[in-house]
Amino acid sequence: MRKIFPADLLARDERFLRQTQEARLADPRRRTSTPDNQTKLTPHARNAPDRARALMHGIFVGEVQALEGAGRTCFDFDVGSGPDDVPFEMKMDMARQCWDEARHCEISVKLSDHMGTELGEFVENTTLYEAACNRDPVLRLTGVNRALEGLAIDVFNTMREFGRMADDPVLEFCEDWMLADEVTHVKMGSDWLRRMTEGDRERLDRALEFQKVVDKVFSFNGFRGEDDDSPIQLTRRFREMAGFTPAEIDDIAEMSRESRDEVVTA
Amino acid sequence: MARIEVEPGSFAMVDYDAATIGAVAGRMADGLGVPSDEEIRIEVDESSPLARWSIASGGQGDEPIVLKVDGGAFEDTRRPRQFDERRTADVVGRLLLRVLDRRRADFAGAPAEEDLTLAQGVAWDVYAVGRLVRMGHDGQRQRRLYQFRNRHGFSDAADNAFEHIWNADRLTWPELDAISAEAAARPVLEPDG
Repeated sequence: MRKIFPADLLARDERFLRQTQEARLADPRRRTSTPDNQTKLTPHARNAPDRARALMHGIFVGEVQALEGAGRTCFDFDVGSGPDDVPFEMKMDMARQCWDEARHCEISVKLSDHMGTELGEFVENTTLYEAACNRDPVLRLTGVNRALEGLAIDVFNTMREFGRMADDPVLEFCEDWMLADEVTHVKMGSDWLRRMTEGDRERLDRALEFQKVVDKVFSFNGFRGEDDDSPIQLTRRFREMAGFTPAEIDDIAEMSRESRDEVVTA
Repeated sequence: MARIEVEPGSFAMVDYDAATIGAVAGRMADGLGVPSDEEIRIEVDESSPLARWSIASGGQGDEPIVLKVDGGAFEDTRRPRQFDERRTADVVGRLLLRVLDRRRADFAGAPAEEDLTLAQGVAWDVYAVGRLVRMGHDGQRQRRLYQFRNRHGFSDAADNAFEHIWNADRLTWPELDAISAEAAARPVLEPDG
């Protein structure tokens, strides 16, 4: 079976259509209008239910890609102690993550039913999976488990809060349970990063640099941050539980502020 | 058929065709019984991917009916920048029904568009889309129920109220408003823009 599987060959049925990152960035309306997802998601906004539906669909395809990414990491590397190998116990953790992501897919499908969203109703972007294709397993740990699953912590916490404010017990409950899993996934990334780079400062620095690149790509013009009006709230408490240091969280917050300022001054 | 005017006449940022939008709006106007001597102007802001809309004029006297929509309201959510006939029919049909409702004497007490609460606005949408569905259009019933629950509470009372409104063909404004108000399980949220 093929290793390092390309994103454009991921299996999807006819319900799903994709948009490349290039096509998204080429949309001329990005220069003339503030995207819908650049303001805080609260039930008080007129379009809040539809925005929540779109965000939930984004979470759903993210879960599918996270499952595919963790699955690839289980398969793409052999067990061993070489630079391209991984410990057996790390594969076990990735397998456990697959189990979690598969459950999240099922939960997301049911939430889509609850919110009146058809699967494939919104276009899919495979940037998340692409970050999971690095040839260095340690860079996958930082790119996926720490950067993207860290973002998932922020997104799930925001959606849980939206469900709480809207008195939607189904949404609040589901997001709370998925959030708990994401904290575990990030913690696994933090732990394995430390163990697999022990005594190899250069590899650790390279991995953390890749994490910053992924964090920057998924900053989406600063939509995730600590300001009161940030659409997605950076969640310090859960990130600390997952092994982030306060300095690392400060860096992400600063990166988001810079991205937001770039949009404002553009 | 009512006279339909679409602005702009050509689009640069999105792959829309003014004639196609006009044809969809014309079919909806005919189906809903808009008088054939009326003029409907649809102003599309193609620079906006958002899906906001407003009724700028209900077409009283010699004035045309004027509907203002963000380009995103007519957009295919699966194919960015491409036209979606189903969504366009939903938006135009819903707005025209609201215009026609307002012309009835038993809707005279309805607040102006900008004064409608979120709950009132969603209840009116449900009333409109339920009628569109019985005309053969796709109404995304569960999506409308989710919107209704967000404004009236996630409760059996809200769901029963939704069923009542969705299946109704001839409500007065006082009836629609009363069903909405009774269903609300919490203080009505005010729009923040």
